Amino acid sequence: AAEPWPENAALYQQLKEEQILLSDNASSLAVQAFLQMCNLPIRVICRANAEYMSPSGKVPFIHVGNQVVSELGPIVQFVKAKGHSLSDGLDEVQKAEMKAYMELVNNMLLTAELYLQWCDDVTVEEITHPRYGSPYPWPLNRILSYQKQWEVKRKMKAIGWAGKTLEQVLEDVDQCCHALSQRLGTQPYFFNKQPTELDALVFGHLFTILTTQLITDELSEKVKNYSNLTAFCRRIEQQYFEGHEKESSTIAARSAKKSLLR
Amino acid sequence: MAAPMELSCWGGDWGLPSLHPESLTVMAYAKFAGAPLTVNTINNSWRVPKGDLPVLVSEDTVISQPAKILNFLRKQKYNADYELSAKQGADTLAYIALLEEKLLPAMLHTFWIEAENYCSVTKPWFASRIAFPLSLYLPGKMSREALNRILLTKGGPPLYSLIEVEAQIYRDAKECLNLLSKRLGTSQFFFGDTPTTLDAFVFGFLAPIYKVCFPRVQLQEHLKQLPNLCRFCDDILTCYFRLNVSGHSPAGQDTADANLQKLTQLVNKESNLIEKMDDNLRRSPQHPPRKLTTLKLAAGGEESSPMSRLSP
Repeated sequence: AAEPWPENAALYQQLKEEQILLSDNASSLAVQAFLQMCNLPIRVICRANAEYMSPSGKVPFIHVGNQVVSELGPIVQFVKAKGHSLSDGLDEVQKAEMKAYMELVNNMLLTAELYLQWCDDVTVEEITHPRYGSPYPWPLNRILSYQKQWEVKRKMKAIGWAGKTLEQVLEDVDQCCHALSQRLGTQPYFFNKQPTELDALVFGHLFTILTTQLITDELSEKVKNYSNLTAFCRRIEQQYFEGHEKESSTIAARSAKKSLLR
Repeated sequence: MAAPMELSCWGGDWGLPSLHPESLTVMAYAKFAGAPLTVNTINNSWRVPKGDLPVLVSEDTVISQPAKILNFLRKQKYNADYELSAKQGADTLAYIALLEEKLLPAMLHTFWIEAENYCSVTKPWFASRIAFPLSLYLPGKMSREALNRILLTKGGPPLYSLIEVEAQIYRDAKECLNLLSKRLGTSQFFFGDTPTTLDAFVFGFLAPIYKVCFPRVQLQEHLKQLPNLCRFCDDILTCYFRLNVSGHSPAGQDTADANLQKLTQLVNKESNLIEKMDDNLRRSPQHPPRKLTTLKLAAGGEESSPMSRLSP
């Protein structure tokens, strides 16, 4: 029984100005873009403990009616069950391709973002530790931060990324962007006329990389090398985010973090 | 470029050149690209396998992960992706990511974590190929690493117990197999008629699932319901690994395959014998030269023609 989408649907993420990190911001933006593309209204609510409220421990999560769903994959399925889908027009082979590319983004881009913000010592000291624990008093902020870092490092070790140097990680990001750029070509969206969840995911990650200030600009430079990707981000930003004044959060984000999309 | 290249990897069984998916991927790629590779399989020697197999040794360079090995081969001008368009190259990367995220956990589970499989098949097999006393330790370590990897990447909440994680990863793997099957369709390889890197990776992951006989085989059964993927594996095995495929394999294997191979070998032997006989007959001065052209055509091992030639 599909209930209609309620008016008070809410998306929870961490505090935008002080706390949220690169990878979480990317995931959150991807979900927001997806919901905008489906024309489903959603409010963005920032809470310091969003990560702990989430059923899977990952942000963002949405609270719709009396259900709570987190992460893009389950949210896409949830929205589909409600009768809205962006990928219905694709045939089987295209759906397979779309899933493969989404895995590529998760496998390479997301892991690279996590590596950069938790395993690169300079970034960790100067950006991640201060930001991650900022809503909490000392010593809790340091403890939570170290705990999360230890968790992420374990995961990196298990999948074999622990031995990689920063240059290799940037190489991988470049390869991934190259693949995405090739696939996009000159089309407006990845599957020509209509945006799909893949477009939302790619937009979330690339836009965040382009507009977040890190220690160095190497990561955003890798993306800027591909002009069709930056044009893609700008197009989606203009189409889905600029028209909504109530989405003041995204606009504030764009002005607070120096927008490098010039 | 002509430097001899040596690949150390795990050996094979059940008709496969190797049981280890990464080793299999590298071997398949080398065959596709025509790279001359001497393959050293790890057997019961004192040479300690350095953890990360496969390892390629060429002159002084030692390279260990499949992606890096493939890059190295490409730099040495053994490139199987030469004719791919840029978009197909991008697709390759995407599908490899799909395989690693969705299929690899279930495969690791089937090999290393499923208790019956591990104790009756995987552990004895690997232990028999590692020297004592390392054979007591290394399989256990590989199993623990596999479990770690699965739990860390897939095991977060809301899946709290290993059983739920197992259910999820097998669902993902079956979906992945379905997607691969749809993508392959009816063509022989993933990008047309020549095999490429993607074919090497898919073969490396699918062949062990397809061929190794386990007590608990839900993934294999699912794979067998996708005939185009099975045909894909068999094609590569017969075309590219013909010399390494042994006709003898442990009991309980796909008997149709084994019988077919034995039959083909018998037929080949017979046609060789018949050729020799015919040759002798032709050379002896009393008999006029016999149908030379049909002899050459039938030398491919066709079953019917030698028989038909014998009957007058």
